[in-house]
Amino acid sequence: MSRFLFPRWSNAVLPLVAVGGAIAPLYIVFLIAYAWSPKTIEVGYKPAQPVPYSHALHVGQLGLDCRYCHTTVDRAAHASVPATQTCMNCHTQVQKDSPRLKPVRESYESGRSVLWTRVHDLPDYSYFDHSAHVNRGVSCVECHGRIDQMEVVQKAAPMSMGWCLECHRNPTDNLRPLDRITQLSWDQRTEMTAEEREALKKLYHINPSENCSTCHR
Amino acid sequence: MMQMPPKIFFYLGIVAACAALIPPVLAVQSRNTTSEKPPLHPFLDMDVQPKFKPQTESVLFADGRSARPQPAGTVARDEAMEDTHRNFGVVDGQWVTTMPRDLPVSMDLLRRGQARFNIYCTACHGYAGEGNGTVNRRALELVTNASGPVNGTVWVQAKNIHDPTVTVQPVGQLFNTVTHGIRNMAGYGTQIPTDDRWAIVAYVKALQRSFDAQLQDVPPDQRSKVQ
Repeated sequence: MSRFLFPRWSNAVLPLVAVGGAIAPLYIVFLIAYAWSPKTIEVGYKPAQPVPYSHALHVGQLGLDCRYCHTTVDRAAHASVPATQTCMNCHTQVQKDSPRLKPVRESYESGRSVLWTRVHDLPDYSYFDHSAHVNRGVSCVECHGRIDQMEVVQKAAPMSMGWCLECHRNPTDNLRPLDRITQLSWDQRTEMTAEEREALKKLYHINPSENCSTCHR
Repeated sequence: MMQMPPKIFFYLGIVAACAALIPPVLAVQSRNTTSEKPPLHPFLDMDVQPKFKPQTESVLFADGRSARPQPAGTVARDEAMEDTHRNFGVVDGQWVTTMPRDLPVSMDLLRRGQARFNIYCTACHGYAGEGNGTVNRRALELVTNASGPVNGTVWVQAKNIHDPTVTVQPVGQLFNTVTHGIRNMAGYGTQIPTDDRWAIVAYVKALQRSFDAQLQDVPPDQRSKVQ
């Protein structure tokens, strides 16, 4: 068997191979960092729901408060998805024959749940507490975005650990007075001065922990 | 003159360079668009544990819910509701005319009541309680639609809480209405905790009183402001 010899033209390709060899690892690292980031994978998840409930109509136009439906958000860790009864508070009368409300009426008659698709699902080892945040000046909008403008709810923030820590390390800009906590169109970054937000931090005793056991048990 | 590689390698190189552009383009597209499909989740780690979180599904029970309803005929701890004044607004078959003993009227209670009223009641009754909330307005629009009521909408104008038939009602009766509803209004007993329902009742009373206020009701040192 004859020995393999690089053809003579290999010399011409050598610089190209060197450049390619330097670029390839960078390409792979940047591609993974970008494509596998929760900002790419998680943000923008917008599942179709069994009922095309529009937050833009109910919250944006009619001005319903978030807590009218998500009643447990300021007293429990879990922000509850409303019971069918809550829909039927109005829809026994308003739009009562609408074909789009059929699953709600069926649920009301049968007692079975409407099978909503969960949009925000944290890993089971993280224990986020809604009440701890909304009772101390962190508005819904900081994590969920402008729900009041969404026809279909989509995930607005990556909700990764790094993203949580950004705020836990520097919470001041995300704080607002409690009476504006569900007013999603209001922005403390433009409506308040940095000093006022800093004062809120003191008033609400905001001292966010970065300890593992704060969120993981 | 350096010897150059065969032409085919040039073409392969160009194809490879173009192919290398595809993954970044897909990633940029994924970052800037929405998707109905669940996010990719290649490494599950312990993200999905065999435990129940609130309002999740369970295959164990016929109704498919992990959360169990309270069995009929049972009472949870501290929910015996023996105090009929506090829990039903009734004592000896009569509507109560006072607040529960542990919930005296204070500025904090009224503020709490105002906040809760603005969440749960204003949709129909409006911020001042005159029955002109946004839902009331929208429902009337749907009823008076030129080509007939939309999707069978029916609507009765929401009650003005300053109506004499309402202002004469004792707090116990108002509490009962908030809790169990009345006519077309649904009950809010499951949506609003007991203390908050009493706070709303106290605020409604204050709101009614404010519509009937005289100059004498304003503290003397502040009368010049409203005159």
